[in-house]
Amino acid sequence: MAAVASGLYVGVRCRLCLTLTGQWTGLCGKAPSRFYSGSATLPKIEGANVTGIEEVVIPKKKTWDKVAVLQALASTVNRDSTAAPYAFQDDPYLIPTSSVESRSFLLAKKSGENAAKFIINSHPKYFQKDTAEPHIPCLMPEYFEPQIEGISEAALKERIKLKKVRASVDMFDQLLQAGTTVSLETSNSLLDLLCYYGDQEPSADNHFQQSEKSEELEEAIEENNEKSKKAGHQFGVTWRAKNNAERIFALMPEKNSHSYCTMIRGMVKHRALVQALNLYTELLNNRLHADVYTFNALIEATALSMNEKLEDKWNKILELLKEMAAQKVKPNLQTFNTILKCLRRFYSFGRLPALQTFREMKAIGIEPSLATYHYIIQLFYQHENPSKGSSLIIYDIMNELKGKKFSPKDPDDDMFFQSAMRVCSVLRDLELAYQVHGLLNTGDNWKFIGPDHRRNFYYSKFFSLLCLMEQIDVTLKWYKDLIPSVFFPRSQTLIDLLQALDVANRLEVIPEIWKDSKEYGHGFRDALKEEILMLMARDRHPPELQVAFADCAADIRSTYESQDARQTAPDWPANALNYIAVLFLRGGRIQEA
Amino acid sequence: MFPRVSAIIPLRLLSPFPLCPGGSEAPAAAIVRLGAPHGTVRTKNEVHRYFGTNNVICNKKDEQSAPTRDMSKETETQESVKENTKKDLLGIIKGMRVELSTAKVQTTRPPNRRQLKSIEATTGRLHKVPEDAPKKRTKSLGPELVAAAAAVADVLPFDKQMTKSELLRQLQQHEEVSKAQKDGERAKISVSNIISDMKIAKSSTARVSTRPVHQIQFDEGSNDYVGQKKTNDLKKSLRKNILKGKRLNIFDLKAVTEEAPETETAPSLWDVEFAKQLAEVNEQPLQNGFEEMIQWTKEGKLWEFPINNEAGPTSISAHSIKRLPNL
Repeated sequence: MAAVASGLYVGVRCRLCLTLTGQWTGLCGKAPSRFYSGSATLPKIEGANVTGIEEVVIPKKKTWDKVAVLQALASTVNRDSTAAPYAFQDDPYLIPTSSVESRSFLLAKKSGENAAKFIINSHPKYFQKDTAEPHIPCLMPEYFEPQIEGISEAALKERIKLKKVRASVDMFDQLLQAGTTVSLETSNSLLDLLCYYGDQEPSADNHFQQSEKSEELEEAIEENNEKSKKAGHQFGVTWRAKNNAERIFALMPEKNSHSYCTMIRGMVKHRALVQALNLYTELLNNRLHADVYTFNALIEATALSMNEKLEDKWNKILELLKEMAAQKVKPNLQTFNTILKCLRRFYSFGRLPALQTFREMKAIGIEPSLATYHYIIQLFYQHENPSKGSSLIIYDIMNELKGKKFSPKDPDDDMFFQSAMRVCSVLRDLELAYQVHGLLNTGDNWKFIGPDHRRNFYYSKFFSLLCLMEQIDVTLKWYKDLIPSVFFPRSQTLIDLLQALDVANRLEVIPEIWKDSKEYGHGFRDALKEEILMLMARDRHPPELQVAFADCAADIRSTYESQDARQTAPDWPANALNYIAVLFLRGGRIQEA
Repeated sequence: MFPRVSAIIPLRLLSPFPLCPGGSEAPAAAIVRLGAPHGTVRTKNEVHRYFGTNNVICNKKDEQSAPTRDMSKETETQESVKENTKKDLLGIIKGMRVELSTAKVQTTRPPNRRQLKSIEATTGRLHKVPEDAPKKRTKSLGPELVAAAAAVADVLPFDKQMTKSELLRQLQQHEEVSKAQKDGERAKISVSNIISDMKIAKSSTARVSTRPVHQIQFDEGSNDYVGQKKTNDLKKSLRKNILKGKRLNIFDLKAVTEEAPETETAPSLWDVEFAKQLAEVNEQPLQNGFEEMIQWTKEGKLWEFPINNEAGPTSISAHSIKRLPNL
């Protein structure tokens, strides 16, 4: 077992070395021009002397950070639209052909890494050999068990650091029983831990699992379009009355504002809204000040409380803001984003307050993030009904955003592009869609496209809009560019493309599209096949085209047959039979007809 | 597409509508030609087109045609409809809305040989409306808007005068709407309902006026973006500006920007977790090999490039080796 484990470890290391050398030779082989451009930048980076005409001005030697060269090289590489994304292995069997496959391949890769890490961390004593010079800390096993035994404050601190909720609560209780007082700071950090995780253990800190769960939850949430999402794996953890946090809070001999604040934040996070508001009044009674995060939490609590009218809620939020100004607490971006997020639930009542909030934010000088615009868009375009007095605010927003580069400031930043593209497709405005896409491609904004399903949604909407409204040549160019390297089309997207081809009278492209559809796993979608057959069979075409169409029809027929072999009740749609027969006749393949 | 379908369904009552005899030959031929080559799937579109041009023909003949009949239920929500001409106009605008939504079905899929027909159809409609435009100039437009409208009218190859007056009329309506919305008083709920009705008509007409621009540009093969830009400028000036308007006036700029002495506390668990969430927002799979190497360098798995021989502690102590100066 030890040998195997160490073999695994060494294998991992060797793979790293090999890939390093492999990358470099591959680079030299594939793209010599790029390599030269990289090396051409090297002398400049070394800070060479610049000889002026009259005098020699020696500039200060620039210090570059350690990734500068690599970043310069990376910026020269553009996306290759004929290749699969880099994250996949470049092997014909390992290149995904549908979105389901791409997701499972990525999951497989990540789970392999996680499995390796898990093994290393659960048996650290087998992985102590360290031959890397200099030492690579992240490859060494991590320690998750508390080392300090015995009852002491240091032990408590360690357990808090390791995020062991139960163990730290036990330790705290033991300390109290032993009579030693716990310092305010430590108890505050214990309260933090309890409030953040809602008195439960944090889920096994497995990043990919977390993001997967939060993705599923996101989909459910987006369908419902109701609740705000926070730390997906905590969704559904409710604040039990008299749980450990409250108990410890009551036990603490002295409480400062931090204690109150963290309790309030924890309560709001776990949806104990009334208690949070009550605690806030207690805080005020004790003449303590809340910080900006607490105010954010309180605003959310006010907005989510169930039993009041919208106007009352809005007035209460305004009062909170005024208290904030009175206590000289500076609002931050999260304050305004929280307000806008809660205004979404107010439907059309929230439009005017939202604009007022937005202007306030700009007036104070807080730069809005993408999430701000996302909330505004959602508020104004909530229902998919385009003719109901659709607001024109999206144009204003796009004018504002032209050419700006963003950095992540709010966890909801990555939802902007999806909602913007949804609005474009609802409004059927291709210009606007191009603007949105241009914004996506400025600087590093492409990173805000979000996880897989959001990216797919964005591109499917974009492409459908292109099929609908753009000239067919441009559409075909986009088709070659985007598919399959950026996203895999759904069958509806392909049907849209076929209709666009039909409209533009370019039916000769159909056999290619059929081949592509088979590749992407749509070979068994009846709607798609019927559409293709119908388009081919509708008119008479020049003879070469007929032959191509007849081949295509034979292909489709074979897919029907193989499908029938699997199902018990063979059921060829009547239309399809018609079309196939007609096409065969025209193609001169009378036998098969 | 489906809201439009539901709007069309009331028009199905008109199906046994006789083709107005003596109508011009081209539209009649258009109907025939439109009907012919479609298969079963296209019946819905075809029916829409049929009704579209059909309404054009009949509206050319009679004022009180079927569209107004069906839109009568909407006339009751209008206010200040005192004059009979105004009622007719609004009715025709509602009728135009329905037709224009059918026209949208046409224009979004313009086949090559049908583009001309649809342009003729829209021409017909645009010509029809200014015939009975009421003199409802309550407010005046800004001069640059008028100039922009004139420029747009110049670009479109229709009758310049009529398109200009048509556009000006639309601008008027839009001005009313945008001003009413800028006040943003919720007390005027009834007004805003009515204005939103008007806005429906306006926005769809505004859209029609840009569609033919697109088509014509493609038809003539000219890369003339001037016309398009002018409509964009129009759009810009007409939009309710997101930045102008009332704000909450709760926070004071000075009070907010003054630097309060902040006590340096260690980042709490909340801050750490929030920072982690933020970092996740921007995460995307690596795009190429260089990015993978950047990732490894940051994690410490890869040596920095250019190679730095002194990085990190080594097992051999620094003093015991004679070194040459690093070149």
